[in-house]
Amino acid sequence: MEIVVAVKPVPEAETRLRPDASHASLDPEGVKFVLAGYDESAVEQALLLKESTVGSRVRVLSFGPAPRTEEVLRAAVALGCDSATWVEHPSDLLPDAVLSARCIATAIAGPFSGLVLCGRQSGDEEGGIFAGALGALLKVPSLGYATNLRWKEPRGQLTLQRSIEGGLEEVESSLPLVVGLQQAWNDPRTAKLPNILKSRKAAIEKIPWEATVATLGPHAIPGTVRRTFRLPPPRTGAKMIRYDSPQDAAAQLVRLLREEAKVFP
Amino acid sequence: MVVVAELRDGRLVEPVREAIGVARSIGGAGATVIGVYVGPPASEGVGEFSRAGLDRVVAVEGEPFARTTSSARARTVAELLRELAPRVVLLAGTSEGRDLAGRLAVEWEAGVATNVTAVEPLAPGPIQLTRPIFGGRATQGLELPGERAVLALRPHTFPPAAASADAAPVERRAPTLPQVPVGAPTMTGFTASATGRGPDLAEASIVVSGGRGVKTPENFAIVEALAESLGAAVGASRAVTDAGWRPSSLQVGQTGKSVSPQLYIAIGISGAIQHLVGMVSSRVIVAINSDAQAPIFKVADYGIAGDLFQLVPALTAEVRRVRGR
Repeated sequence: MEIVVAVKPVPEAETRLRPDASHASLDPEGVKFVLAGYDESAVEQALLLKESTVGSRVRVLSFGPAPRTEEVLRAAVALGCDSATWVEHPSDLLPDAVLSARCIATAIAGPFSGLVLCGRQSGDEEGGIFAGALGALLKVPSLGYATNLRWKEPRGQLTLQRSIEGGLEEVESSLPLVVGLQQAWNDPRTAKLPNILKSRKAAIEKIPWEATVATLGPHAIPGTVRRTFRLPPPRTGAKMIRYDSPQDAAAQLVRLLREEAKVFP
Repeated sequence: MVVVAELRDGRLVEPVREAIGVARSIGGAGATVIGVYVGPPASEGVGEFSRAGLDRVVAVEGEPFARTTSSARARTVAELLRELAPRVVLLAGTSEGRDLAGRLAVEWEAGVATNVTAVEPLAPGPIQLTRPIFGGRATQGLELPGERAVLALRPHTFPPAAASADAAPVERRAPTLPQVPVGAPTMTGFTASATGRGPDLAEASIVVSGGRGVKTPENFAIVEALAESLGAAVGASRAVTDAGWRPSSLQVGQTGKSVSPQLYIAIGISGAIQHLVGMVSSRVIVAINSDAQAPIFKVADYGIAGDLFQLVPALTAEVRRVRGR
């Protein structure tokens, strides 16, 4: 099975967010970008499928600027991906999910018959658009919110579950397919030191931005423009309820929720 | 404008009414709002949709749609959009709506945004909107300069449209495209979630979550009892789902679900960043924790420090008392 994983470098969870000078986007200065969240689950799921099917290979792709994109690809190689492709763009370009999908689709190229995995949303802008857009571009079915992918050998069918409103949907599909991953059941693996060292020297295929632009033509611009990046006013800390008894605390809280916060039905 | 319907168990889901409300408010008095339904035959749900404040409804019904996922229906929706030629398509920001949004953006060649929490009234020029990013830790102002836009709205953010007394005319059409394209994923089963009795976590207007401070899987029942008294959905921190006390579908946080209810009550949750990013955009946050120094109190609006095994049952009793049951 041909398995492709698409990942996006995102700021690590502990990052202190700050707007850049234009106040339109996150200031990347000093931010550590990592492979995180749903993308980690996508890589883990790809590796689990590879280990359970004979002759599978995992190719990881990422669309983004230097140096963060190359770093994230090396992290994926250290985890066990077989090859990596960096679809580069200039650091001043602010792509949206549809443009990212177009660039990744260009790099996948040709009639695609395998499985594409990605996070069901990115760890930064959280749009949840990428899988559907990529599926439409590759002209293959797509679905998000997936977990627990299994390959059923005799008939060549993929089974999976989707964690959606109201419950767990069981789905069966043939390939090709694009899947957006919900979190994995188990904690994703971590890379072993020798593999991290090896990944530093791994060959990474690089597709220069000019080549992507030449392929995409007028589609090589984002369809959305970021205008503002605002931080909410800092939360000043909870109003702590002082109480004589648990019953008193409960009565005070219900009264505050009703009369002050006006959220109690 | 077009609003795409989503039904569950044959009934219209609430966020679709919110989308109709947004279409009415951004389009102004003269706007035409057309409802589109593509799915299995559903006379009751389509009837509800037609009375939800629309000018007309176009319904493409076919039995095989019941087994397909949104990517199979997207082609039919996109075909209708090419014919109806709206400026804006509004979707409920459910898993279904967001899966559909990305496909429609490509198949109908439109700009797209999801998790939308505010839209400026339509005027000549780009569409201006706002959405939370980084789990609600920042807000993004976004502009869609193209002629067509697909917007998936964050559930529970906008008021629903008032239902209309008269039903809008419904035009029923037979599907013209394959309902289950060759090789398409098909649904083979459905298991209602552990929260099946209460509202769904992602859609609930009140969420009650428990964390490590609850100490044992059996004790988690006090969290569930409070949720039941409030008509709330039950959530959990990663510590709880990793330990297997409750299923991972209940996990709120970076690797679980992001929620933004009107009221979020965190019980025995210390407030690791992993959890905070999934709930910090809730309107009002209450924290109950034995440790008065827990970081959760920094993001909460109201806090009670103390023995949660006494406080939570007392709160449940108080809620039952004031609600008269």
